[in-house]
Amino acid sequence: MSAVGTAAAANPVSTPRSRTWRLIRNLDWTLVGATAILVAAGLVMVYSTTRSGAHPFAFVQNQLLHLAAGVLVGAALIAVDYRSIAAASRWLYVVNLVMLAAVLVVGRTALGAQRWIPLGPLGQFQPSEFAKLVIVITLAKHLADRPGPYRSLSDLLPFLGHVAVPMFLIFRQPDLGTALVYCAIFAGMLYAGGARRRDLAALGAGALVLGPVLWHVLKEYQRRRLLVFLDPSLDPLGSGYGLIQSKIAVGSGMMWGKGLFVGTQNVLQFVPEHHTDFIFSVVGEELGFLGALLLLGLFLVWLWRGIATASSARDRFGALAAVGIVSMVAFHVFVNVGMTVGIMPITGIPLPFISFGGSALMTMLWATALLLNIGMRRQKILF
Amino acid sequence: MDREAFEHRLAVLFSIVGVLFAVLAIRLWQVQVVQGDHFSRLSEENRLRVTSVAAPRGLIVDRLGRPLVSNRPAFTVALLPMEFARPQQEIPLIARLLGIEPAEVAQRLADGQDRSFEPIRLRRDVPKPVVEAIEESRMDLPGILVDVEPVRDYVYQDLAAHLIGYLGEVTVADVRRPASGYEPGELIGKDGVELAYDRYLRGQDGEIQAEVDAMGRPSRTLRMVPAAAGDTVVLGIDLGVQQAAEAALGDRVGAVVAMDPATGVIEAFASHPTFNPNLFAAGIPAPAWSALLRDPRQPLIDRVTQAGYPTGSVFKIVTASAALQLGVVTGDSQFYDPGYYTLGGRIFHDNANESFGHLSFVNAIAVSSNVVFWTISRSVGPEHLAEYARMYGLGRRTGIDLPGETAGTIPDPAWKRRVLGQPWYAGDTLNMAVGQGYVLVTPMQAARMIAAVANGGTLVTPHAVVEVRSSAGQVLSTFAPPPAGGVQLSAQTLAVLRAGLTAVVTRGTAASIQIPGLAVAGKTGTAESPRGKPYAWFAGYAPADAPKLVVVAMVENAGYGAEFAGPIVQRVLEAAFGIAPAEPPAGDPKP
Repeated sequence: MSAVGTAAAANPVSTPRSRTWRLIRNLDWTLVGATAILVAAGLVMVYSTTRSGAHPFAFVQNQLLHLAAGVLVGAALIAVDYRSIAAASRWLYVVNLVMLAAVLVVGRTALGAQRWIPLGPLGQFQPSEFAKLVIVITLAKHLADRPGPYRSLSDLLPFLGHVAVPMFLIFRQPDLGTALVYCAIFAGMLYAGGARRRDLAALGAGALVLGPVLWHVLKEYQRRRLLVFLDPSLDPLGSGYGLIQSKIAVGSGMMWGKGLFVGTQNVLQFVPEHHTDFIFSVVGEELGFLGALLLLGLFLVWLWRGIATASSARDRFGALAAVGIVSMVAFHVFVNVGMTVGIMPITGIPLPFISFGGSALMTMLWATALLLNIGMRRQKILF
Repeated sequence: MDREAFEHRLAVLFSIVGVLFAVLAIRLWQVQVVQGDHFSRLSEENRLRVTSVAAPRGLIVDRLGRPLVSNRPAFTVALLPMEFARPQQEIPLIARLLGIEPAEVAQRLADGQDRSFEPIRLRRDVPKPVVEAIEESRMDLPGILVDVEPVRDYVYQDLAAHLIGYLGEVTVADVRRPASGYEPGELIGKDGVELAYDRYLRGQDGEIQAEVDAMGRPSRTLRMVPAAAGDTVVLGIDLGVQQAAEAALGDRVGAVVAMDPATGVIEAFASHPTFNPNLFAAGIPAPAWSALLRDPRQPLIDRVTQAGYPTGSVFKIVTASAALQLGVVTGDSQFYDPGYYTLGGRIFHDNANESFGHLSFVNAIAVSSNVVFWTISRSVGPEHLAEYARMYGLGRRTGIDLPGETAGTIPDPAWKRRVLGQPWYAGDTLNMAVGQGYVLVTPMQAARMIAAVANGGTLVTPHAVVEVRSSAGQVLSTFAPPPAGGVQLSAQTLAVLRAGLTAVVTRGTAASIQIPGLAVAGKTGTAESPRGKPYAWFAGYAPADAPKLVVVAMVENAGYGAEFAGPIVQRVLEAAFGIAPAEPPAGDPKP
């Protein structure tokens, strides 16, 4: 992606109207297109996985409602210059912590974890989903404010603290998967931000040492999932049940798939959480290897546009925020798909744009909006 | 950090993403293309199926732990809608094999359509030859499953059937009730202890998770969560006393109940005609059910707690209590009984129209002089009669731990005006004083009433179940419901009542039921019936000086209480106190 000249150079008489046109011209239509196809595919798959029952469209309608909200707020996010979002970083960080703490106090419990705040007729609200995006924004701002060079491990400690507080709150819910997403965001952004490889390696080693300590903090079901991941035969029909059934579903799709809406493993409810975390197993079953590759290809296009946005961003904040978003989505896709085919542990991370779940969908749409925003206002990078 | 280094690091990051996606693609290739056939077969043929394993229902045992209700293994035939490929051929075939209507199979199939992967029970307790025939037709019936499931076994057939109750298939409404925990097709308690203590008896269903082949046969069990048997319910019933009560009642229509007057524990509970709960154990066939419902003798009615009867002279306990407490009479009050009573120009004749001549109040109880009780009832008045009847717990439910209890009726002037729209006549008072007219009392209420005399005025709460134990024998809970109130009876009143009830057996109407070595007290009742012969009652307790057991017998349309109900109580007391009958019980009561 070649950098486009500044607005002043292209159009010396800068009016609000011409600026708007330039911004729209700068919109990354490839990214918009990839997102639109992913969202549409998600709606189809949610329908496919939830159509049995008295109200076949209930889940799709719910998802559409959140899609509408996501697009509306996303459009507003594009309209505002992302630098003013960066300026609000401190507030975002505080509000984020308050919400995450609120979940621990008033949260609704599901599957052994408190992740939702009930919002009456509006459904449930899962702050840890939004928290991912908020942490990308605030960490990018922090890294931009403290541009380095980072000559030692201790230079990285402020950033570690920055991420550690919300991560701890999420870990307490407990939501192991989302906490791990933070690690990916942190690693990706610090690496792109210029941290030394050896310092990042030291932090990684520290995390490994901390592992056994965290083991005791994990809930029983999480430990079981991890153990079963290491050895599924430990419990072929308890925690391992989901894993085996998911593999059977994906595997039975073979090259061409059984065809949309004709999957049996899904209808028979063999696969648990098949419309949320395990939705990819239905993609694999109904659309086959080719369909699965096509979906991965779409994600790859999306991520490529994200990297391109980082590359062309006008400032350090924009570039690093784009990297954070790419890290977040890439990690989600890899862990989620990996989970359905048995190469990643079951951690409860949704497949971006595809899985049923309003908070996750809106977060991903807003992340896309932020990428578009950064890409639209690109200029020469001023590092 | 310069731009070039940043671009380089972006390239590295994107390469990492590329590698990760390549890993996913390779893994997908491996699972879907290389191993695709294998997983496809698992998905198409070797389906993993989760079948629930019915928990054996808890035992129901008597007070000494002797099982009255247990379980036996039996074959259940079920169908799996998912694999029921050719209904036109399969439905008639399986219906013929099982001996049920094809329409019923079709209905059950339709009911289970939205859960097509869960087996639907077609028939329980299928005989072995039928199961063999199904196995032979296995190729034509891929969706049919044969399971071994426990079936309820009522060891003594119809013994205490009304108290024990029976099972029935859970209704759709029951299943839909939130948090009911019931599954369609499940058998649950529908009456008696089976219903009232269902939550203890039902246990926790288990699960078998198995791979099944294309024929629907389990090929490999992957996991089994064993079913947890229901808890054991211990009844207060004593098997020997119960059998004696049922034998003594015989083929006559009536009820017998025996209860500990101190605790309210039921020791025998018989209602005739009865039914065999084993008929229901595997789901009762429709014709058998409608036959039971249409039987004019109403075998499903529990005559101990669900039917009210006029008590006849048993009610004199109430009248005597009121008169004594209100100071209308004392035990020594003297009366003259000419054999009739005149009220406003109308003459009321005693049952036998015989004159008892001069007699004390105690003797008036003993010989059950209606004339004396008519006389005193005029001074007591209907309101006080009703008040004392209610203090004895008549006219309201006893609170026994069995469903469907009736409250009976205790009339008073206000009641008559409200319900019948008529004024209360003096004749109504006379009728009420001797347990006739509008008085309706269940045998259970009568037992509790006489128990209050036996225990000094406490209105115990009758209960069938004394304890619940785990299937391993550990006591989980003990049932000792608190008394429901009491009757204020002075020591003198109690003494006169007890002397009168003792005299009934020593020298009064029920002298024929004396038991050597056991002092029995009680009261006969012969209540006129609107249809046929009178209802025969006897309500008694023993030993007279330190009561351990109350027994009430009521026989519909039989005749004199002393003749038809008294001997039943005698037999039950003999069995309970381990006394051999002095002479073999008479085959046919004398006319």
